[in-house]
Amino acid sequence: MNEQKLEEIVRRVLADLGAGSGADGATLAREIAPSADANLEISGRDLVRPASLPADVESGEVPDIRAVDYRELYNVPNAANPEEFKRLKRGTAARLGLGRSGPRYSTWALLRFWADNAAAQDAVFSDVNPDLLEKLGLFSVQTKCVSKDQYLERPDLGTQFDDAMIAKIKERCIPNPQVQILVADGLSSTAVEANVADLLPSLEQGLKLHGLTVGTPFYVKYGRVRAMEPIAEALNPDVICILLGERPGLVTPESLSAYIAYKAKVGMSEALRTCVSNIHKDGTNAIEAGAHIATLMSEMIQQQASGINLKV
Amino acid sequence: MTEWILSVGIDVGTSTTQVVFSRLQVENIASSFSVPRIMIVDKRIVFRSEIHTTPLISPDEIDAEALKQIVIDEYEKAGFQPADVGTGAAIITGETARAENAEQVLSALSELAGDFVVATAGPHLESVLAARGAGIDEYSAHARGVIANLDIGGGTTNIAAYEHGQLLGTSCLDIGGRLVRISPDRRITYVSPQIVKLAASAGIPLAVGDQANAERLRTLTRVMARHLAMSIGLVERHEPHLALYTNEGKPLRSSITPTSVSFSGGVADLIDGPHHGDPFRFGDIGPLLGASIDEDSAFKLIQRHQATETIGATVVGAGVHTTEISGSTIDFGSGLLPIRNVPILRIPPEIEENPELLTLEISERLATMDPDHPEQTVAIALDGHSLRSFADIQRLAQSIIDGAKVVLEGPNPLVVVLESDRAKVLGQSLAVQRGRRDDLICIDSVQTANGDFIDIGTPVGAGRAVPVVVKTLVFND
Amino acid sequence: MKLTTRLDGITYRFRNITDVLAKANEPKAGDRLIGIAAQSNSERVAAKVVLSELTVEDLTENPTVPYEKDEVTRMGWDSLNQPGYQSMKNMTIGELREWFLDHRTTPDVLKRSARNFTGEVAAAVAKIMSSMDLVYAASRIQYTTQCNTEIGQPGTIASRVQPNSTTDDPEMIVLSLAEGVSFGNGDACIGINPVNDDAANTKRIADSCYEFMTRNEIPTQLVVLSHITTQMEAVRRGAPLSMIFQSIAGTQAANDDFGVSKALVEEADALIKQQGLCQGPNLLYFETGQGSEVSIGRDLGVDEMTLEARTYGFCRYFRPFMVNNVTGFIGPETIFDGKEMIRGSLEDHFMGKMLGLPMGMAPCFTNHTSISMDDQQIATMLLAMAGATYYIGIPVADDVMLAYQDTSYHDNATLREMLGRTAAPEFHRWMVSRELCDERGVLTEKAGDGSIFLK
Repeated sequence: MNEQKLEEIVRRVLADLGAGSGADGATLAREIAPSADANLEISGRDLVRPASLPADVESGEVPDIRAVDYRELYNVPNAANPEEFKRLKRGTAARLGLGRSGPRYSTWALLRFWADNAAAQDAVFSDVNPDLLEKLGLFSVQTKCVSKDQYLERPDLGTQFDDAMIAKIKERCIPNPQVQILVADGLSSTAVEANVADLLPSLEQGLKLHGLTVGTPFYVKYGRVRAMEPIAEALNPDVICILLGERPGLVTPESLSAYIAYKAKVGMSEALRTCVSNIHKDGTNAIEAGAHIATLMSEMIQQQASGINLKV
Repeated sequence: MTEWILSVGIDVGTSTTQVVFSRLQVENIASSFSVPRIMIVDKRIVFRSEIHTTPLISPDEIDAEALKQIVIDEYEKAGFQPADVGTGAAIITGETARAENAEQVLSALSELAGDFVVATAGPHLESVLAARGAGIDEYSAHARGVIANLDIGGGTTNIAAYEHGQLLGTSCLDIGGRLVRISPDRRITYVSPQIVKLAASAGIPLAVGDQANAERLRTLTRVMARHLAMSIGLVERHEPHLALYTNEGKPLRSSITPTSVSFSGGVADLIDGPHHGDPFRFGDIGPLLGASIDEDSAFKLIQRHQATETIGATVVGAGVHTTEISGSTIDFGSGLLPIRNVPILRIPPEIEENPELLTLEISERLATMDPDHPEQTVAIALDGHSLRSFADIQRLAQSIIDGAKVVLEGPNPLVVVLESDRAKVLGQSLAVQRGRRDDLICIDSVQTANGDFIDIGTPVGAGRAVPVVVKTLVFND
Repeated sequence: MKLTTRLDGITYRFRNITDVLAKANEPKAGDRLIGIAAQSNSERVAAKVVLSELTVEDLTENPTVPYEKDEVTRMGWDSLNQPGYQSMKNMTIGELREWFLDHRTTPDVLKRSARNFTGEVAAAVAKIMSSMDLVYAASRIQYTTQCNTEIGQPGTIASRVQPNSTTDDPEMIVLSLAEGVSFGNGDACIGINPVNDDAANTKRIADSCYEFMTRNEIPTQLVVLSHITTQMEAVRRGAPLSMIFQSIAGTQAANDDFGVSKALVEEADALIKQQGLCQGPNLLYFETGQGSEVSIGRDLGVDEMTLEARTYGFCRYFRPFMVNNVTGFIGPETIFDGKEMIRGSLEDHFMGKMLGLPMGMAPCFTNHTSISMDDQQIATMLLAMAGATYYIGIPVADDVMLAYQDTSYHDNATLREMLGRTAAPEFHRWMVSRELCDERGVLTEKAGDGSIFLK
């Protein structure tokens, strides 16, 4: 970390503090947390104590419990073979060996569960940052859902568009491309935010390499997998791909899936869709996934098939 | 979808020559909802030759013609053609590797061994192959502690230590069962130069032409066994011990302290008693050496684990356990595979993240690697975990294009080997930036080190992955 | 049949029994999704009033899906005990509710009545029961079943240890299994959901778990929850399975989608009887849950609770070792929130017990609902009071493979301790012999340390 960057962060921290009511510990934690740089931590800690804070507020911060890799923990006292168990458990994200108090969880394990559960639920219940969509050059459309709750309770509405929306899609997009790409929130906005900025250019590069024409990509708010179907009917691509956030587990809220279909139609069989799931930094990374999906789409166009009909 | 690769292993050792054929079952183990993961899911030996005596014209010269005939006969018995073979290794090991005509024998073998088979040797690789063949790497993965496998052959003892499936180190000593040979009329017909020195330093009179004296030779094998105990740190090493390492090699690091030991190689079968019968029944000191190891108190200090292969460990290691499968999202020009013996040019991780330094590093290393043929095919090896964004990949591609100009503008293909799963996007980026993709092989999920060579076979798993043999000739301690 | 009533002078008219059942259901997202739910609270109560006056016969003779068109209806009917049914068919649903709660109706009588009713009758009576009714009524009914070992005895709570792995890695599965049994989980069974549904993988997982189970002499049964046909293939290839698992639903159409039928289950039952590592007589394990039919569009306009009860008719036909209810697994389109999940779990548990099944409960949730750990634990404790046969056990309530939250290794130990119960007898003795719990079933210091089982 160079000095300039450090200064910049310091300025941001100060600005947040100066905002008075808007500044709280959480804001600070977000600003400081991304770095493991020791210098920064010290500087940060010093800065958390400007005159505007009451004197009795302890400086420093409680460490980020989500930053702890619990695969490295084996909190079982007097264990028979803790080293071996610890070594093995590096291979799984299962919450093993996190200790107990009586028959109940250790405090840390309970707090961590809550933190992971909160991140997962926030991934579902938040919206994708519009700035990101703008940066990616994606315009937005919305399914018939009017709210997140309705979206969750009515999967059918998350696959449908009203006429005005279809008209907008037709107006803004190149018709009859070989490939149409969609991005949708699905069940994790966090997954979209974590992956799409790298996946999309990789995918587009791969499609270019395969000599395929790509339509106008756009974003579908409150979109489910089947939202691809009416869009395919409106734009008539050979292959359509929707990139959407997977239902988050506690291990990661960042997992994205791509569902791809050749000549998609409303009501098509699920078996005719090809799915590439588990795209996130600890699964298939976004950049490699983009390259893989490009090749898959090219194979689909060659074979004029997708899903179970695609020979891979 | 299941497919099989036929793999051959040929081991020409100091005293024996063996051939095995195995089938490696390759399968996509990923669910249909994710990116493919093509792996070897089963390995099955389908044919084992008998154990031949390695045909020698003299102690320093292999009878190439006779050897070739042995291999031809074994192919025939197994019912395979060289063209059937997809992967594997033919190696010359032990003392034989030092034979004057070893190179010539290898080239004779490679004709027979199929399109893809490699031919190489070296104490480090031998140790690893023997341990793998003996099942020790796999055993250690699920066992506690450090295990050392001692592959005691006719000429050398190859040692490999493992913990939790990871190789900790290798070493190789000139200790073997056939370093002293005895004629049927019980005269000593051969003593290796190393043993001459060892016997002298231990005060044991020993000369070619002497009558073989079991007690005297037992004194010698006890000394040899003690050196083996020293080699894995069971007893303190003293000065003459260090002279016993093959090619002036080094012992295992002293921090490696095995808690169990396994034995493979021909002598392994002679360690477990009862130790009676003619000690010279094989015309050598193998039975005496076996008994001496069994009786040496140092080896009783640690657990003894039974190897799954003994005399066949090296050949099984070569034939069954050398091949791995690359990642399943890779990129390569059609018609470039198979490709063999590509030298690895490993980029240090800290350089990887700096595009300018990386360009420089690649171009300089290419220039010095083989100054007469800088345009030859090399494999640029990178870790790649630091490549997080699409922009990172673009920068890396540019550095490779700039740095590896001399290869890319020449007639030979370039290989890029990543450890992390990013080969396909890198391959595509290189192709888009260069406007061509017919001269590049970009694979991942393969670990390599400087000084290694890599063989890449014809694709498996519907063309998604490739079988790879990494030939590690030096162990980077 | 009277399908009309007034509440406060307002008339509520219902089209048919299916409509009454749907409108009488407590709020459920799945019913709202297909537009069959009551429009108001009053309408819901009006439907309950009408339902209370229908007879057992009305509901039995007018199944929500016609007998000739649906295998699940036929199995519910064909597994009726006719004399029992005849003796009770004139009772109204309101009377039947009171019969279930009456002290004079002894537990033995309750158990004997299990084959007097179809799923529709079970759903009807549960719809006019409050939460405490559902818990109380169910608490008086207990069934023991036996595969290798026996579960369901009074004074016991069993659990299925579910050590799933995202990569089907046998080593990771066994590691989690080790910790699970160290907490006393696994007396109902060791059950793994594989990622890859193929026979070789099923066998590979089974082999590893079986090795662990036999090496440590754990008295239980082993199951790998791939598709029924996959398990059958694995058994034919020698996989050491003790029983056969299958998810089932309340309409033939849904079961067709699941690739399961009565004939297939019969074939599996015969196969495991001959080839399984088990003694029986109960060799099947079914999974059910409200909303599975509607989530795949195979509900035929019937409410999700009634469909669930119908599923139990299918289960009952086969006398399974265990039935696992997973209401809450699918998501907010079928069970919207914690309240719906808790209520649904209590209903299902009662209906299953009423129809003669050894009900294991998985009050669970996914992350795309507002259901919280608290909701889940409340449901779990209520179900424990109701006497559920067993629960799922996963590490700290997080299933990394199925990406949902269910009861934990800790929870099952806690339930036993709070209620003074032990594991199933053979498993309890094993735990005592390994010093994992005392005679009363309370965990010892050693419990929770999976590393004691490492080789």
